[in-house]
Amino acid sequence: MFLLLPFDSLVVNLLGISITVLFTLLLVFIIVPAIFGVSFGIRKVYMKTLLKIFQWATLRIERGAKEKNHPLYKPYVNGIIAKEPTSLEEEIKEIRRSGSGKALDTPEFELSDIFYFCRKGIETIMDDEVTKRFSAEELESWNLLSRTNYNFQYISLRLTVLWGLGVLIRYCFLLPLRIALAFTGISLLVTGTTVVGYLPNGRCKEFLSKHVHLMCYRICVRALTAIITYHDRENRPRNGGICVANHTSPIDVIILASDGYYAMVGQIHGGLMGVIQRAMVKACPHVWFERSEVKDRHLVAKRLTEHVQDKSKLPILIFPEGTCINNTSVMMFKKGSFEIGATVYPVAIKYDPQFGDAFWNSSKYGMVTYLLRMMTSWAIVCSVWYLPPMTRQPDEDAVQFANRVKSAIARQGGLVDLLWDGGLKREKVKDTFKEEQQKLYSKMIVGNHEDRSRS
Amino acid sequence: PRGAHPPHLSLFSPPTVTSEQIEHLHRRFKQLSHDQLTIRKENFDSIPDLEFNPIRGKIVHAFFDKRNLRQESDGLVDEINFEDFLTIMSYFRPIEMNMDEEQLDRFRKEKLKFLFHMYDSDHDGKITLQEYRNVVEELLSGNPHLEKESARSIADGAMMEAASICVGQMGPDQVYEGITFEDFLKMWQGIDIETKMHVRFLNMETIAHCY
Repeated sequence: MFLLLPFDSLVVNLLGISITVLFTLLLVFIIVPAIFGVSFGIRKVYMKTLLKIFQWATLRIERGAKEKNHPLYKPYVNGIIAKEPTSLEEEIKEIRRSGSGKALDTPEFELSDIFYFCRKGIETIMDDEVTKRFSAEELESWNLLSRTNYNFQYISLRLTVLWGLGVLIRYCFLLPLRIALAFTGISLLVTGTTVVGYLPNGRCKEFLSKHVHLMCYRICVRALTAIITYHDRENRPRNGGICVANHTSPIDVIILASDGYYAMVGQIHGGLMGVIQRAMVKACPHVWFERSEVKDRHLVAKRLTEHVQDKSKLPILIFPEGTCINNTSVMMFKKGSFEIGATVYPVAIKYDPQFGDAFWNSSKYGMVTYLLRMMTSWAIVCSVWYLPPMTRQPDEDAVQFANRVKSAIARQGGLVDLLWDGGLKREKVKDTFKEEQQKLYSKMIVGNHEDRSRS
Repeated sequence: PRGAHPPHLSLFSPPTVTSEQIEHLHRRFKQLSHDQLTIRKENFDSIPDLEFNPIRGKIVHAFFDKRNLRQESDGLVDEINFEDFLTIMSYFRPIEMNMDEEQLDRFRKEKLKFLFHMYDSDHDGKITLQEYRNVVEELLSGNPHLEKESARSIADGAMMEAASICVGQMGPDQVYEGITFEDFLKMWQGIDIETKMHVRFLNMETIAHCY
């Protein structure tokens, strides 16, 4: 046996053995099932074990806090100020009523009218509905990740030890395993698609391309320890359609693409992403745009329409929100994809934040930091619902259709349906919204003024 | 800095704001300032709901108005820190049950002064006809069907009415210079502004959580 171990040092030998064991584990339990699309159910067992541990930890914390008389409380997520439920008209009338003794049916502009808007303004400055959506959802129980607990304090020895053990497992065991898997998955994808690209077009190429894509995405899914539950798989998107989903993180692509064969749409990036994109397009017709082309909406729409009209081509995968939202709500869908006129297959993705927060706050973390955070979480648990296909009715326009699809997705995923544009995270509100409130007020004043001058 | 103590609690005498609420306002301040120590006018652009508001410009302006910040000189500052932010917020604190007449009166005057400064944009202590027109136009600016003339005539009508309340009958040669603060106070007589011009905090619930 000593012939097999070329080094004298015991430590180095042990290291060599453990790496070999690791790779064998990788191969047998993870990559091989991924290739064939079967699952041993290891991840589900892992998830159940973790849940039991979290419950125990939460109970310990509650007990510990009670013993020490610590007031534990959670920041009130639904807002910190009491907003009056009265409307604009009611409030202004009330102010005027208490002021001059004049009759209310002759409203003209009053000095006191400014007050309502002033107070509303200060209220929104103090506390705002939309900006809350863009920070990560706050958890009600602790999942042993200090990053989700903003005020981590030492509660008990046992708990700290557990947390320390958790850190050790996540960073020293899971992280290298996952990085190895991710590396394998990506390199297989690039080499596989390049090889398939050399084949002549035909059924063989399509078959191989599909399986190469699926295999590599499945490996990436395991690289993140993503435990996904698919619902209603009979509604999966078909050729010539557009698949539309809500967007929480770049992982959404991997989650959907590991269960179906899609044509991706997106902008060509530089670096590693670019290499992957260029390799993928050799095997199957994805729709990649140059940076300059992305701004040209007509060009984008034209290419997508061409793709969709060819019934032999794959369904397109699009995320109409345009940016990552923190998975508690669905923001406004951009109407571009809904103007094309193809059948839309909506998909709702909901992440369970207990195991790891998948939201990508792109202004806070770069892509690499984000991926590292994902890979050092316990797991990513999510549910995917395939909703029945929808088409644009003759009497609705693109915006209404988009809103209809958005509501369906929000309802299914248990997310709040918001009218706000996801682009708010970076840009200012479009002026059309500003007019609403002002119109209401001015209608009140001017309408009556005109009546009076007429009479 | 994170560990800074809440500034002059005398601002809130009688103390109506708890340290929890100051903590919340501090977090909000940090959110608006992107973790910097001061806020500039541009930081208010990141509040989408504020765009709804027709007098958004005047409200933001009020935060940087030296008169509201209780500074001696006149004009505008470029940036405000958390203490200044709290100073402005203090104009919107609710009244306390145990306030006596004098305190109530002072309280009311402070709030009305804040509103007065919103109208009086050139800081000369008077609301002139032009300034009044500005406010009315801003409030009615969202209506695309409204002509500038209509907004003007509404403002002029309201101004005349203000003049009649404040000065009574004017002679043909008299020119009404503008609404002074005393006149302004007269016009708000009877309106319980001090019970309406406030923002209430919700009671924080206690739920078991890692603190």
